[in-house]
Amino acid sequence: MPRFLLSRVTSGLGVLLLVCLFTYLVFFALSPDPAVQICGKNCTPELIDQIRGNLGLDQPFWTQFVQFVVGIFAGRTYGEGVSAVDCAAPCLGYSFQSSQAVWDMIVQRLPVSATVAVGAAVLWLLAGLAGGLLSAVKEGTFADRFITGLTLTSMSIPNYVLALVLQYVLVVKLQWLPFPQAVPFADDPVQWFLNFVMPWMVLAIGYAAAYTRLTRANVLDVLRENYVRTAFAKGLPPSLVWRRHALRPALTPVVTIFGMDFAGLLGGALITETVFGINGVGKMAADSIARNDQPVIMGVTLLAGFLVVVGNIVVDVVYTTIDPRVRVNA
Amino acid sequence: MTSFPTDLTTAQPVEAGTDDTPEAPAAAAAGALRSGAGGTWQALRHDVGAMLGLGYIVLVTLVAILAPVLTSISGWTPYEFDQTAIDPNLGGMPIGPWGGVSAEHWFGVEPGSGRDIFARIVYGARVSMSIALSATLLTTVLGVSLGLMAGYFGGRVDLVISRVMDFLMAFPALIFMIAVLSALPAGNRSALLVVVISVFGWPYLARIVRGQTMSLAQREFVEAARAAGASGTRIVFREILPNLRSTIIVMSTLAVPGYIGTEAGLSFLGVGVVPPAPSWGQMISASVKWYAVDPAYFVVPGVCLFLLVLSFTVLGDRLRAVVDAQEGR
Amino acid sequence: MKHQPLVTAAIAVATTLALAACGGAQDDSSGGGGFTAEPAEGGTVHVLQNADFSYLDPARGWDGGVNNFYRLVYRQLTTSAPGSSEDPTEIVPDLAESLGEASDDGLTWTYTLKDGIKFDNGDPITSAEVKFGISRAWDPEIGIGSPYLKQVIDAPEGYEGPYKTGDLPTIETPDDKTIVFHLIKPFPEFDAVLSQVNATPFPVDSGAGDEFIHKIIASGPYKLAEYVPGSTIKLERNENWDPETDDVRAAKPDGWEFTIGLDPATIDERLIAGQGADVNAISGNIQPATLPRLQTPQLKERVLEFPGICTTYMGLNTTKEHLDDVRVRQAISYAIDRTTIVNASGGTQLGAPATTILPTSVAGHKDFDLYPSQDGTGDVEAAKKLLDEAGLADGFTLTLDIRSQESMQAQGEAVQQALERVGITVELNLIDTSTYYETIGTPSQQHDAAITGWCPDWASSAATFLPPLFDGRNIYEKGNGNLAQINDPEINKRIDEIGAMTDSDAANEQWGDLDEQILELAPVVPLMVAKTVLLPGENVAGLYSSANAATGGIDYVGVGLKDPEKG
Repeated sequence: MPRFLLSRVTSGLGVLLLVCLFTYLVFFALSPDPAVQICGKNCTPELIDQIRGNLGLDQPFWTQFVQFVVGIFAGRTYGEGVSAVDCAAPCLGYSFQSSQAVWDMIVQRLPVSATVAVGAAVLWLLAGLAGGLLSAVKEGTFADRFITGLTLTSMSIPNYVLALVLQYVLVVKLQWLPFPQAVPFADDPVQWFLNFVMPWMVLAIGYAAAYTRLTRANVLDVLRENYVRTAFAKGLPPSLVWRRHALRPALTPVVTIFGMDFAGLLGGALITETVFGINGVGKMAADSIARNDQPVIMGVTLLAGFLVVVGNIVVDVVYTTIDPRVRVNA
Repeated sequence: MTSFPTDLTTAQPVEAGTDDTPEAPAAAAAGALRSGAGGTWQALRHDVGAMLGLGYIVLVTLVAILAPVLTSISGWTPYEFDQTAIDPNLGGMPIGPWGGVSAEHWFGVEPGSGRDIFARIVYGARVSMSIALSATLLTTVLGVSLGLMAGYFGGRVDLVISRVMDFLMAFPALIFMIAVLSALPAGNRSALLVVVISVFGWPYLARIVRGQTMSLAQREFVEAARAAGASGTRIVFREILPNLRSTIIVMSTLAVPGYIGTEAGLSFLGVGVVPPAPSWGQMISASVKWYAVDPAYFVVPGVCLFLLVLSFTVLGDRLRAVVDAQEGR
Repeated sequence: MKHQPLVTAAIAVATTLALAACGGAQDDSSGGGGFTAEPAEGGTVHVLQNADFSYLDPARGWDGGVNNFYRLVYRQLTTSAPGSSEDPTEIVPDLAESLGEASDDGLTWTYTLKDGIKFDNGDPITSAEVKFGISRAWDPEIGIGSPYLKQVIDAPEGYEGPYKTGDLPTIETPDDKTIVFHLIKPFPEFDAVLSQVNATPFPVDSGAGDEFIHKIIASGPYKLAEYVPGSTIKLERNENWDPETDDVRAAKPDGWEFTIGLDPATIDERLIAGQGADVNAISGNIQPATLPRLQTPQLKERVLEFPGICTTYMGLNTTKEHLDDVRVRQAISYAIDRTTIVNASGGTQLGAPATTILPTSVAGHKDFDLYPSQDGTGDVEAAKKLLDEAGLADGFTLTLDIRSQESMQAQGEAVQQALERVGITVELNLIDTSTYYETIGTPSQQHDAAITGWCPDWASSAATFLPPLFDGRNIYEKGNGNLAQINDPEINKRIDEIGAMTDSDAANEQWGDLDEQILELAPVVPLMVAKTVLLPGENVAGLYSSANAATGGIDYVGVGLKDPEKG
């Protein structure tokens, strides 16, 4: 087990380094000169050179990249003298447009994104598992076909369209819900729920549909397995067969997918947060793209990559624990 | 791995997960796949959903091809302004019910400019379809060839390709796509969109192709070909590839709606095709602000897009069911 | 000619340009919305906005949105009169007892500070703090805001602000109350320069590096209570601000709360719904799609309109082939269809066609139209004739730079349609919002034409309007404002002559003439002036516009609540 974990962590780190390098390379090549952006409206060529020197932007690509990677672990200082700014480890860069370390900006907004992700995850897991099971058990009936139709439909609605329709109906017309804002749970649990419920629904619906289909397919597959048929035929109580033989293998793939989906969302649900104007990591990313705040875009990209990699490792570990049949290198 | 464009759209081939996981046998009874297209078509013909979907896809394709003919009949190009169709005092809102629907403008007009929505839908179909189909083609070519290589040659080739796939799938594609598209000069956005979508899309197909290739490579008919002295390339293209046909068709069909949605979503976020060219995503993006006062403006492209995505999803879903049944699963 | 922003309480069915421009008196009675009612003491005013403020540090920030915010927390020697005054573009004393006294040669200006002025920590504001705050403008990294202090006040060669170089010897502080400035050359509007936001006093040696990024030292009626970047800003009363020393800021509410990062459509929805605390909310311009929803009597009554002070124009790069021919530029001026441009930008309620560079609400505006046409839809015949004379009867292709933002794209498409009528094919070159101004301000990257806008830094004269855009000696390699790259000796000469005039009324009249003189060469095509249409919450009062302090929007200093208990 530790060896397996070690190899997964190593390859995960490799992937992260690649993500890092790729992002850095692309932005290095594409981005307008950050020095010009920092310089502002009344800029002179001399001033730009000075800023470039201060920030190490005149260094060759590899030097800058190494500085960036070292900064993640050891922190770094941008510029020198009175105008120097410190960026403590883990330094994912420094946004000169908002004069903040990228890490601090992310930490500030991460709880909001996590709230959106967790709530949506609970919703889609419940709906997806229940819908999928029901659909599988009632295979071929009207209920099954209805659920299948519903899932195909929900998968085809772009979620920004759904968000706006929901907001129009629930907030503007019926006035059941407020315009979503990130109210902290500690301030007012009821308002917290009312504010977040719509983003949760919008984010969850597509996943719920996907999970319904996945659950249904897996349960049907397992039910066709010989050992399950045998168990039923032996006359074992159906509830026992379901619990012991059918559900567990049928749901393990769901766990895999869930781990990665959830990890990906922790790094911010860009569209949902943007449409509802919720200040999470996703909206920050969208705003930063609009302002071309390159360090923030890079920071968020790295964070999201990191979360997916960690999610993968966690899933692998959980997987080997709950399903002993799976050998590590299968 | 399901959520390729994070929360952009979930119409991505989610079901791929079933084949994706260690649980599912990578290539179940590949021999059965040889049952041929004829049988598949016979089975599909009696499926109402699949046929409706196919019918709509054919319709949209025809509309896209015949766009210039259709607009010459309707009388408006997608770029012409019609100041008489909008009310300058109400923010440029279309005059008349249903977003200005009239004999002159069949689907109404765009607020602010009075451009004909019918013409823009028709030309928008061209953009949306061509981007989605080109992206599908490119992803399929990339995914199949790299998946085959990884699966057949194994070893170092597999290691490199698999790492690249891991890397691309761990990558927050949506953020990155927007950032790259907004930073690059907008000159040839359509081509860029296709490239960017494909770069992040191919691993999902390649993974499955790789798995199936690995299992096919162990089978007797491949062994036999190898024993007969066939070259690696020949085995891959003559023996293995034909057996992957159904998988590829199903996966590609299921990928199209994802790409349509991605193009629309990127247009919605303002990094889509360059104005004044219309695309359905761009139209939805422009219309969302008006949904409360001019719902027709929002509904027309919204429904067109929704139906197209739904059609591809249903068709792909049924196709998969038929293929699965033929495989005897 | 003095101009006065008009406060109309209801949407006029057809607001004409003339009506919006010279409507005259503030009208309290119309509509009955009570925008200009005297607000009560107390409560919290909410501001809903999309974008975050650029910087809380006034040496760094300098734009329409943040300047207005600064007015709540910072004071300068002089400032713009409150929006409620007879002439809100007038510069009045703030920390200073009176406006500056200039020496006979116009090079030395002396100010005397009021008694009882303090920072939020209770420390008195003396001439040393005023001088220190002003000297921050020279810091290369911090002083990235308004350029006027550096352009006008004399400073030693190579001076780089108080942190890097140290004391600025050219500003004298003979005693705690007196401060003396020496100018590079006479500048009759020096009072306006000192009203710029970066002339804010700060305690000596404070504000180095990023100190004022997340916390500030206030001198105005409010101080920072909470700041979550990109999300919220809360202001609370600064107990050390003495209302006796301040004739400009009514400061009726107890606090302010800015909610940032909201989608513009959501802001409009919230204002229309007016639920809970949103009755105490104000915001910026409404979206065009919101206009048709404001037709109910209740909502109509809440609509507040201000004339715009910023001109949207298309610069024609006179260094490019074809466009170097004045006849071609004039042909384009004739061919443009301002009706489609206004409609594409939200219709007649949100914009008015512009045929002059100076908008009606900026002092010096002269009404003329050198390239007239029926209903402003363009004179295709005249344009074709000029193109024919220029040997371009078959037309040509030009590339138009536009910002990848919806309304500007729509304007670009309208220009494209209009010029197609005379055989000019316009290719739209979409540039990302964040790099747009940088790109078009770099002559080597600039294409044939670009759509952009300009607002005055103070509206009491055209001194911040015409010179930056048309002085041929100010064509820079980067950060260039003279998009047309026009360098006409006649225009340059007139700019110098009018700039040196001390009689402001006479100067303004001549600025108007210069506007016409410039447009005869057609280096730019004025397109429209965007108007401001607002939907304040029903409990908000004291709403006046200020061209200077709020770039034509609501002047925050007079705003308050009718009933502080509500919401």
